[in-house]
Amino acid sequence: ILDDPDLKDIDPTVLKHCHAAAATCILEAGKQKADISAISACLEDCKLDKERIEQFCTEYQETLTVVSFSIGRSPLHITDVSWRLEYQIKNNQLHKTYQPSYLVTLNVENSDSGSHPDVSFSCTMEQLQDLVGKLKDAAKSLERATQM
Amino acid sequence: MLLVLSADHRAHLGCLPRAGGAAVGELGRLALEQLRRGAAPRACEAAARKLNIGVDTIQHGVEGLTYLLTESSKLMISEIDFQDSIHVLGFSDELNKSLLQLYLDNRKEIRTILGELAPRLPSYHSLEWRLDVQLASRSLRQQIKPAVTMKLCLNQNENQTAQVLQTDPATLLHLIQQLEQALGEMKTNHCRRIVRNMK
Repeated sequence: ILDDPDLKDIDPTVLKHCHAAAATCILEAGKQKADISAISACLEDCKLDKERIEQFCTEYQETLTVVSFSIGRSPLHITDVSWRLEYQIKNNQLHKTYQPSYLVTLNVENSDSGSHPDVSFSCTMEQLQDLVGKLKDAAKSLERATQM
Repeated sequence: MLLVLSADHRAHLGCLPRAGGAAVGELGRLALEQLRRGAAPRACEAAARKLNIGVDTIQHGVEGLTYLLTESSKLMISEIDFQDSIHVLGFSDELNKSLLQLYLDNRKEIRTILGELAPRLPSYHSLEWRLDVQLASRSLRQQIKPAVTMKLCLNQNENQTAQVLQTDPATLLHLIQQLEQALGEMKTNHCRRIVRNMK
């Protein structure tokens, strides 16, 4: 906002205060899931005129969905999975092993720092079947919960 | 495929014909114990006393036998190849037969032990899951956000680590679809053909 040509006539400190105040107002309103009448009432108490209140409320409604879901802390969030199927033939200790195995990597995101080393592990076909079975149980219980 | 024995190796095994039949059995037992549990100098000393042979000779004999058994098991050589490999040592038929029997009886176990030495990535142990619905947080009130929280237990070099992970319903379904595809790959013609031809 400091580089905006429309705003260059205003004192930068005042500009920063206005920006901070507006941002806090939007966040608090979003946090409480306040509706338009509540926000208008609040802004009236702050002695803003009707026109400005209307403008603010329209802008607020447009940004509401963006604000709602991107704040808060949580454990590492899985975003994607990659897998590799390999067939082991030999290693330096043992020849003729002839074993299939899977290498699964879970791409993980951290809400705080945005990146985190991915979780990788190897498993046999039976273990992967066990894992998929458990994930399917979780999905089934999700489905049942949504039907309640 | 034949096993190539170096001069040192042949010298070590050279004590076997002199030791006699019972000694070979004893040395074989010591060799297997060494593979299972590591070197046991006291057991070698006891055997040396019992068989009336020098401790060093016993030690070399055990080491020689251990090497012979591990190399043969590692390469999984056939009976005929094994017999041809030890033929070069010039032992009696009876000794050759007992060595062959020793190899055949124990190669599966030796292969299992060798298998544990291979490099390994953390491997899957188990997964526990829980369905959560987030209703509110310090930054946002009145939400309904479903999530699946999971505890993934992995084994790495005998340590178990547990990692807590979370995912949303859409990603969960995507994970299931991708991993089912992975499982399906083993059953395709391509993989089946390779497995058949690699034996």
